[in-house]
Parts: sequence; structure tokens; C-alpha cells
Amino acid sequence: MRAGFAALVSARQGLRRRRRRAVMTGVGIALAATMLSAAVVVAYGLGTGFTRASRAAGLPDILVRFNDTNAGQVAKRIQALPDVARYSLRLEITNVSVNFDGRGTGNAVAEVLSSPGRYDGYAVVAGRNLPDRGSDVLVERAFAAAWGIRIGDQISVPGLGAERVVGFAEGPDNVGYPLAEPRFYLSRVALDARFGREVNPQVDLAEIWLRAPQYVNEVLAQARATSFGLKNIQFVTAGGLRILIDQAAGIVIDLLVALSVIALVTAGVLLAASARAEVQRRLGAIGVRRAVGETQGQVALACGLEGLLVAVPASCVGVAVGVLVTYSPSSRLLMLLNEPPPGWGLVVPLGAAWLTGVLLPALGAAWPAWRAAGGSVVGLLRGGDVSARRGRRVGASRVGGSGLAMLGARLVGARRARLVATVVTLALSAAFVLLMLALASELRNLETDPGALGKKYQLTAVLPASAVAQVRRIPGVQAVAPRYEVEAADSFELGETIDVIAYPGNHVVFEAPPLVSGRRLRGSGEAEVGAGLADALGLSPGSVLALALPGGDELRLRVSGVVSSLDHDGRVAYVPARALLRDDPSAPEELAVVVGSSGNQAAVSAALTRLGGEPTVTEGATARGVPLVNVLRVILRAVAVVDGLVCLYALIQAVGLTVFERRRTVAVLRASGGGSGAVARVLTGAVVALVVPAALIGVALERWVFGPALSRLAENYAVLSLAAGRLEVLAVVAGLGVAGAFAVAWVTREAARESVVEGLAG
Amino acid sequence: MVVLEAHGLVKTVGTGRAARRLLDGVGLTVQADEVVAVLGRSGSGKSTLLHLLGGLDRPDGGTVSVAGEALVGRGSAALARVRLRHIGFVFQQFQLIEELSGLENVLLATRLPGAPRGGAQRARKLVELLGLGDVAGHLPRELSGGEQQRFALARALVNDPELVLADEPTGSLDAENGAAVLELLRSLPGRAVVIVTHEPEAAGIADRVLRLSDGRLVDAERVP
Repeated sequence: MRAGFAALVSARQGLRRRRRRAVMTGVGIALAATMLSAAVVVAYGLGTGFTRASRAAGLPDILVRFNDTNAGQVAKRIQALPDVARYSLRLEITNVSVNFDGRGTGNAVAEVLSSPGRYDGYAVVAGRNLPDRGSDVLVERAFAAAWGIRIGDQISVPGLGAERVVGFAEGPDNVGYPLAEPRFYLSRVALDARFGREVNPQVDLAEIWLRAPQYVNEVLAQARATSFGLKNIQFVTAGGLRILIDQAAGIVIDLLVALSVIALVTAGVLLAASARAEVQRRLGAIGVRRAVGETQGQVALACGLEGLLVAVPASCVGVAVGVLVTYSPSSRLLMLLNEPPPGWGLVVPLGAAWLTGVLLPALGAAWPAWRAAGGSVVGLLRGGDVSARRGRRVGASRVGGSGLAMLGARLVGARRARLVATVVTLALSAAFVLLMLALASELRNLETDPGALGKKYQLTAVLPASAVAQVRRIPGVQAVAPRYEVEAADSFELGETIDVIAYPGNHVVFEAPPLVSGRRLRGSGEAEVGAGLADALGLSPGSVLALALPGGDELRLRVSGVVSSLDHDGRVAYVPARALLRDDPSAPEELAVVVGSSGNQAAVSAALTRLGGEPTVTEGATARGVPLVNVLRVILRAVAVVDGLVCLYALIQAVGLTVFERRRTVAVLRASGGGSGAVARVLTGAVVALVVPAALIGVALERWVFGPALSRLAENYAVLSLAAGRLEVLAVVAGLGVAGAFAVAWVTREAARESVVEGLAG
Repeated sequence: MVVLEAHGLVKTVGTGRAARRLLDGVGLTVQADEVVAVLGRSGSGKSTLLHLLGGLDRPDGGTVSVAGEALVGRGSAALARVRLRHIGFVFQQFQLIEELSGLENVLLATRLPGAPRGGAQRARKLVELLGLGDVAGHLPRELSGGEQQRFALARALVNDPELVLADEPTGSLDAENGAAVLELLRSLPGRAVVIVTHEPEAAGIADRVLRLSDGRLVDAERVP
């Protein structure tokens, strides 16, 4: 006890003596803890979002959608099912007009609840739930945030009048606005109170909670067998919902989790290097302690306590900064997914991050101190100055104009372990930033360039197939064909709509989404399916795709290949026009127009307008996902800033330690007439020795490891070419250069402050 | 020709009750071609005096000029330029850089920004002249103490300074090597040399021997 207290006092005194260095170490720990907590906030928040949302909303085990049916009839069917704990009925009205504060939309979804306040499948995240009477509504939180709707405001719903917003809701059965249509909830009882009781109340959605959710498949089988009288019935399970939601934001979540893992690795390397460097600095002092009779354990305890005293506040600051930087943007992202922020749920993982930030430096300081204290005392006492590796012989190589820089490179290379740790940290950081830049560029590409999605047509025109010949004669038109698109449903478990696209001939001329597996469709009985659909339905080349067409017919086709498409989260199917029109002759058609490279799109568009074709310019797939991408960018930018600071710290630390250890060398240089410029040249050599391999490794890592890994993660949604381009590489190299220059300037200034005489004394 | 001129140098080290005036009005003038030895007990302030004369440290009072250039009151960059052009240092512990060969250590001083031209040629000449040609490519740890000190001497001379300041140049050498190094210092043509040492042998090669006692420089003969 007494020994521990003495060690604590000694540790405090040591820190006071080395206040400046302790602050530098603390900054490093704080930066690492920032990265750690940022990774925790993003990964935990997104990774557990659906579970949290399900719990908060009391998500039902089964959602059943069907055509409008009498509520009493539906209730009877549900009551006949085994194992039902409770149920709730709802009417989902689409294409509802809503206006607020000068803004308006005609495609909102009104969720009319039969019995609000009991089992609703949504969570009230602000305000209160719907009352039994009155003109009150709950508005989806993401919708409210996008439109600036506050509790107490009134939204105008034509046909209903002004509705007072009493709360905000989040329903995990769909993503939020603008990723999906805006939603609001209102009570049927309240509607009845205002407009009179409806004689034959209709519903089109039932939520069912089971007593034993593990038997959901058995209940589903029973429900299918007894669902007579309900048309267009589609079952969605909680597990199916998870797949759908994951797909809606899947790529973003996957990317963020992957980036967080990279951040964790970087933070780990940095913490270990920081702790080791700190002990390395104090080898001489450890020698003195051993010389005056301290045991190996006492030395290690004192060093560990010093590490602890620095790490506790530094880790607190780091964790707090990480939370501040990422909590708000990741909460916004969660809101778009209709998932609540993690809130207090983060306390435990953040506590673990804090503890990691405290224990790693403490143990990292104690362990090398323990090892060092076990060595020769005489060696330790001489250990202030690093010596070249035994057996390494440097020949009388020509010291050219780069002599001072070469010296710097040799000095930094003398500490092989630190060199490796620093290069690894810088390389990981560089690769990480490169990946983000490549990703940002790819997202921009997907957003603005339809060609990136495999769409080769630039214009569509609302014209019949008979107008093809006429359009083909327009100067600049390279190809034109009728394009049919219908929204179908799958006949199995998810009940999610599927975009069915058909061309009479070879669709590859107009749309050629990258083929992930299999081959292009050939006969009229084949289809290509998007990777998102294949993933959701477990389809692969050779499987049978069963589509429920809007007219009620079922179209069954064999899957010839799986394509990558971001449209509708990859839930698309390319089918032959003949097959589609056979089962759905009224499928809406338009003309897809490819403008040749020598053609003028504006002129072609004008010609189409003259034909009455109402031409539309083809857009990228992520236009609706812009807010999501923007949130992603905010998060990436925040992490990139921290990453840049980590690079800077790693460089300053590595170069600063080299100068500190080789202060005699620097002093000799200065005694020989070298000024700050000479010291700067030496340090520039040291920085180049760190930055050049780091940049090369970073580029290689991004190109051959991180990029492909992330592309594989995303391949269910799109083929992303995440190899950084020349500009991105240049930007990262320039960034490393700036960080290096700053490190050189900073450490040179510090070195020049020391008296030459003190430096000569070592 | 006067190369080094110092007047009234005062230097106090420590603060409060621990304050101690090491130099108390030291004056010294050294001509070209003159070797001056400053003797004194350990801790008498010999090295401090050398640091002040070389512009490595700043006096509390007094003036120093080397080759006509005043050192006191100048910024660190200007002092570095004076050292580069006019002063060469030889240290007791040689202070060779471990990662560089003997020749590279000598050449390094010629690569400092502002160093006189022709340094590489002078370095090779000096290395040959000091009998180090065969070991020029060896690392310091592969050299004997005498060889290391000769390389250090070559480094001090490579930029052709008017003043050479040697701090205990034989302190880490055996008698034979020590004598050889002193002889080399003695034989430097056209240069002013100041050697501070506590070894009386060094006095044997000096034109003038001074003793630092109680913060003042006095002729060695006048010290009781």
C-alpha cells in the first residue's frame, strides 16, 4: 500500500517535471480515444439500430398487407390463427396530399390506425401518442425534421383539413423520408368522431404479435392457408423487414462499419506506439531508479501509474470529442432509417472504449518499463542516446547535396520498431482517407452519371412504341426502343415491390447493369435480377423468379444472371418485353433514347418535345438518397479530420522523439554552424523516410486490400470501383506532405529552443 | 592578427541561494598561429568559458568577437553563421554521429547551408593528412579513440576556421593518442587554438598557459 502510494507520488512528480512531453502523450492518447469512440458511436449506433427501433416500436412478428378489406373480416381471420398474442389493424393510404408552411407533396402515406395507443408498431419519440378524438396526427420524425415541422404545428391534409401535430413517430417497418415517402399517423376513432362512424371500415395492413415468435413459420403457413377472402396478400416477417431495411441503407452501414474497423486498427497501432515511445524516452531515468535500488516491479508500477495519470484525463477528452463529432451526424443517419439514436445504450461500449484508452497506455508503459528495468543498469544509464544496430555497417557512401536529409533518414531508421509503427499508422490513415475520397467520388459518380449505373440511354419520352421509327430519324439519335416498367410483387415472403423492366430486343443496348454472376437473358423465359432482389429472395442463376404483376397474373421466369443495380436498392428484374406484355398487356411504355456521341442531347430533347414526347433526362440512382449521402459525408469528413490529426501527431511524435534521443547529434550540428535550416533539412529527411513508404503502402493498401474488400461488401448493391484515382492519390500525398512540413517546422522550432550546450551534454 | 578577443566575461549559473558566479570578468585575446591552454579544476568554468567564446552560450556580461565579428547580442542564426565560417569545435567525447562513417562525419559539416565551397575536397585532404585514409569508411564504433578524435579534428577544420576551440581533447584518450592529438593541434598553421583542459600535459604544446581560478583567468605561473 505504502509502496503504491509512493509510486503514485513519484509518478505525479515525474509528470510535473515532464509536463510538456506528458501533454504530447496525452494528445496522442486523446486522438486515439477520439477515433475509438467515433468508431464505437457509428458502429454501435448503426449495428444495433434496427433492434433498438424494433424494441421501442414493439415491432410485430408478422406484417400482413392486402387489398382494402373489411376490418371485421380481417379480425376474424387473425383470431382464427394459433398462438396470436395480439394484433392491430391499419389502413395505409398512399398518394395523400400534405401541405405545410408553403411546402407540399402529393405522395405522402397516411397510416390510419384502428386502435392507437395499444399495439402500434411505431414508437412515439417526441410529444404524445394519438388521442381517441380530435384532429391530431403523429408525423414521422424524419419527415418532420426535413420539413421543419414542430409539435403543435398544423399540417394541412386536403379532405381532412388542418391536423395538429401532437408527436413524432418512428416505425421501423420502413426507412424514413426522403428515402421513402413521407408518413403520418392518425386515428380512425378520431376520424369517426369527426366525420361519423364508418359503416364498413376498411383496412389493408395487419400487425400480429405472437406468443412464441420462434414458430413464426408455422403461423405463416397457417395464415396462408386461411387467408381466403384477402386479395394480394403479402406477408412480411420481422426478419424480412430487417433484410429490407438493411438493404435500404445497407451499403452505407457496411461502409461505415468497415471504416470504423479500420479506425480501430489505426487507433490500436497509435496507442501502442505512443506508450512504447514514452518509455523509450525514459530509459535513462529507469536506469537511475534501478541504480538507487528500486526493484523491477516498482519501476514498472511507477511507469504504469504515470501512463495511467496521463491516460485517464486524455481518454476522457478523446471519448468526449469522438462522441461530439460523430453522435449528431450518426443520429441524423439513424433518423433517416427510422431508428432511434443509441442514447444511454452507448454508455457501456463507450466505457469500454475509455477503459481501452486508459489501460492500453498504462499497460503499454508498464510492460516495456518492466522489460527495460530487467536489463543492465549500465546499459540503461547510457540509454539516452540511440546507437546504430549492431553489425550494420554504413560504407563511405557519397554524401551528396542531400547529406543532411540522408542523416535524418538514417536517424529515424535507427529505431526500427518505431519506424514501422509510425509508417503503419500513417499508411493506414492514408489508405483510409484514400478510400473515403474514392468512395465520395464514386457516390458523386453514381449520383450524377447514369452511365455509372449501366444506363446507356440519356432520354426517355412518353411516346408509343409506334413512334420508334419517327424518333430514330431525329438527328443525333443513335438508338431508340420501347421501355416497359411495372411495379410487381414477389410471390414469397417479403412482400416488397420489384421494378420489372422490359425491352423488346437486347436491353444491353439501353441498360447494361454490371453482371455479377450468370449470363445475360436470352430467351423469352429468362430474366436478369438485381443483386438486392437476389439477396432478398435467395435467387441465383437457374432459380425461378415468380412475380405478381399489377394485373394479378403471375410471371414465372428462370434467372439467367444476377446484375448489380442501385435502382430500387437492387430489387429490379430485367425481363423480355414479350413475356411481360403477354401477362400484362397494359404495362406502361415509354421510349428510351440513346443520343450518339456526336449528337446534341438538347436538340434531341427539343425534337422529342415537338413530337409531344415530354422527354425526361435520365438520372442517377441515388438522387433520393442525397440526404443520406450528405450525412455520410459529414461523418466521413469528421473521421477524416481526426485521421489527419492522427497523422500529424504520429509525425510530430516520431520526429520529435528522434530529435530528443539524438539531441547530441543535433547539438553537434548546431555547434558546427548549422542553424535552424540545417536542423530542418535533417528533419525533412526523417519525415520523407516516414512519409514516402507510408504513402506507397497506403496507396497499395487502398488499391489491393481496402478498396476490393469494401467493393466486396457492397457488391450486393453495386459494382463500386474503389481504386483511388490520380487526383485522390495526389491529394493524400499532398496532405501527408503538409502534415510532414508542419511536423518539421514544429520540431525544428522546439529543437532550436534548446541550448546547444545542454544538447551536447545529452 | 587578433582572432579572438573577449573582455569582462561574466557568467552565473544556478538561481537563488544556488547561484554561483563561474566567470567573473574574464578577458582573453588570442592571435592567429597562437595556441592558448586554459587549465583549471573540474567545475571551475573552463567549458563554460569555451562555450561563451564559441557563441554556444550567452554571457551575463562582457563581449566576445571572433575574426572581427562580435558574438554578444546576435541572434542564434547569426551565431550559427559565425561558427560555420570562423570556429571549429573539438569535444572530449568526439561527438561523432554513430550512423555516419568517419569521412561522412567530416563531410557533414561541409554540407551545412552556407558552408564555404570546396568542402568535399578539403575533407578528403584532411582525412589523408591526418592519416585516416584507410579507415575513412569505418563507423565510429569501429575506430580507436585516437582515430575518432582525429576525425573530430578534421570535422572541426574542414570549413577552414580561424579559431579552433578544443574542450578536453585528450580526456578520453590514452597518453600516446592524447599526445598525437595535441601535436596536431599545435601544428595547425594560421589558426588560433584555445584548449581547455585539466591535464597539465596539454600545457606543454601551448604558447601561453592560463589558469581559471575563482572566475578569473590568470597566467599559470602567477597561481600559487
